[in-house]
Amino acid sequence: MGFELRGRGIVEGKCVAEALVSSMPISFLGDVDQKTGLVIAKTHDLYGKLLKGKVLCFPHGHGSTVGSYVLYSLAKSGLAPKAIVNERADPVIVVGAVMANIPMVDGVDITRIRTGDIVEVDAYRGVVKVIR
Amino acid sequence: MYLTKEEERVYDGEYGWARQVCMKILVKLGDLFGADRLIPIDSAHISGVSYKTMGDVATEFIEAIAADANGKAAVDATINPQSFDAEYLAKKLPRELMDAQLRITRCFERMGVKLSYTCTPYYIESPHMGAHLAWAESSAVVYANSILNAWTNREGGPSALAAAIIGKTPNYGMHKAENRNPSLIVELEQPLREDVEYGALGILLGKILRDRIPLIKGVEDAPKDMLKQLGAALASTGMTNMFHYRVNQRVETLEKIMVENNDVKKTVEELNTANSKKPDLIFIGCPHCSITEIKQVATYLDGKKIANNLEVWVCTSPFIKRKTEYYVHKIEQSGAKVLAGTCAIVTWTDKLGIETIMTNSAKTAHYAPTLNKAKVILASLKECLKTAITA
Repeated sequence: MGFELRGRGIVEGKCVAEALVSSMPISFLGDVDQKTGLVIAKTHDLYGKLLKGKVLCFPHGHGSTVGSYVLYSLAKSGLAPKAIVNERADPVIVVGAVMANIPMVDGVDITRIRTGDIVEVDAYRGVVKVIR
Repeated sequence: MYLTKEEERVYDGEYGWARQVCMKILVKLGDLFGADRLIPIDSAHISGVSYKTMGDVATEFIEAIAADANGKAAVDATINPQSFDAEYLAKKLPRELMDAQLRITRCFERMGVKLSYTCTPYYIESPHMGAHLAWAESSAVVYANSILNAWTNREGGPSALAAAIIGKTPNYGMHKAENRNPSLIVELEQPLREDVEYGALGILLGKILRDRIPLIKGVEDAPKDMLKQLGAALASTGMTNMFHYRVNQRVETLEKIMVENNDVKKTVEELNTANSKKPDLIFIGCPHCSITEIKQVATYLDGKKIANNLEVWVCTSPFIKRKTEYYVHKIEQSGAKVLAGTCAIVTWTDKLGIETIMTNSAKTAHYAPTLNKAKVILASLKECLKTAITA
């Protein structure tokens, strides 16, 4: 069982992993600890969560333009999410994902995905498949 | 996206790895956001300069670009603040952190960018109206688009660096006139009175607007320094690149939202995370102080002494510090420090034993809890200065 959500592929790649879903925008600089990949902003709904290995779903990026480097650094340290799914991509997240080579899709209604869902991200076709 | 023959050669790596990587970043963004071509830019402003925010991995990326003989800036480029100033913080912080910072700064030197160390490059040289730019540093992006009417997207640190090296940026988003119009009107129940209220409005709107461009009514006559606070805060919580504040266009058909005074007050309260009223550090200059702000601080502190066991930092660019020597002297006579080319957010305040930061900047109030592990007292400039001498 499950269903498919169609969006736009941004950084090519394919993976299957557990979803970590936020209803809030993310600023990788500030919200996420670069050394651990832990969400450290107390006001964030993902506070205390590790991004590593997850399909990270959030509406869009915001805030600091250094966020691209943080995402890149997380990937080089093996702490990055396995894929990124956005409602709407912004340049800061896109550049980070490109440099880090993290599969990324946008244009997806992320409210249909729940934390803990197993999802298959096919960023070649821009498709996110939720397996329930 | 259309590439010229020359641009294609860069893309294919004929001019080395650094220019190829940079071109690939620009082409990816261009393709994704529907650019038709690359357009020349007047200047680039690069974020990702402080070692504190960059760390080793990102530093290595910058080093790789700088090591390439072709990794040179093709246009005027400026850079954001670094993690210390030579006169004060350099003497208080561990040597190895200084060395790590120097690795980054040497790269930018090698690339031929201007070592401006500021988030307010527009005070050094204001871009022309209608100029195309590739600026990172979200507060400067909003200031350029909204107040200077220069045109830039909110670049990520690496894409601003890429644009500096290629000398071009993809033609999309804020580079197109049709994308620069307001799509809603913000009305204020009551006029804003002081800097923190402008900042709070920014924080509040950033959360609501996402990337929509507002026309904010009732701030037309506000000093530029207040609009700077508004824009910096707006960019912290949103992805909005611009606001309008001059009511000279036909917009009556647009959707309206009303911001009540209570919303502004509540936002200020939410940003205040300190239990104690006693700060360890009072920080003015986020974004970096203008000449007017330096004068305001100097006028207030003239002939006074700041309280014992209290750090007071007034942060600005090396350029503005040199230009305001007379006022800087007055400020420093009081015991406060004028730090050039750095700020509280991009340095290690926690390593200096600072637990509570008092500031007039909503942007700092937004970032300090995570980036400085500090509690925040957000208060007006006047209130901050008053506390500085009586705390």
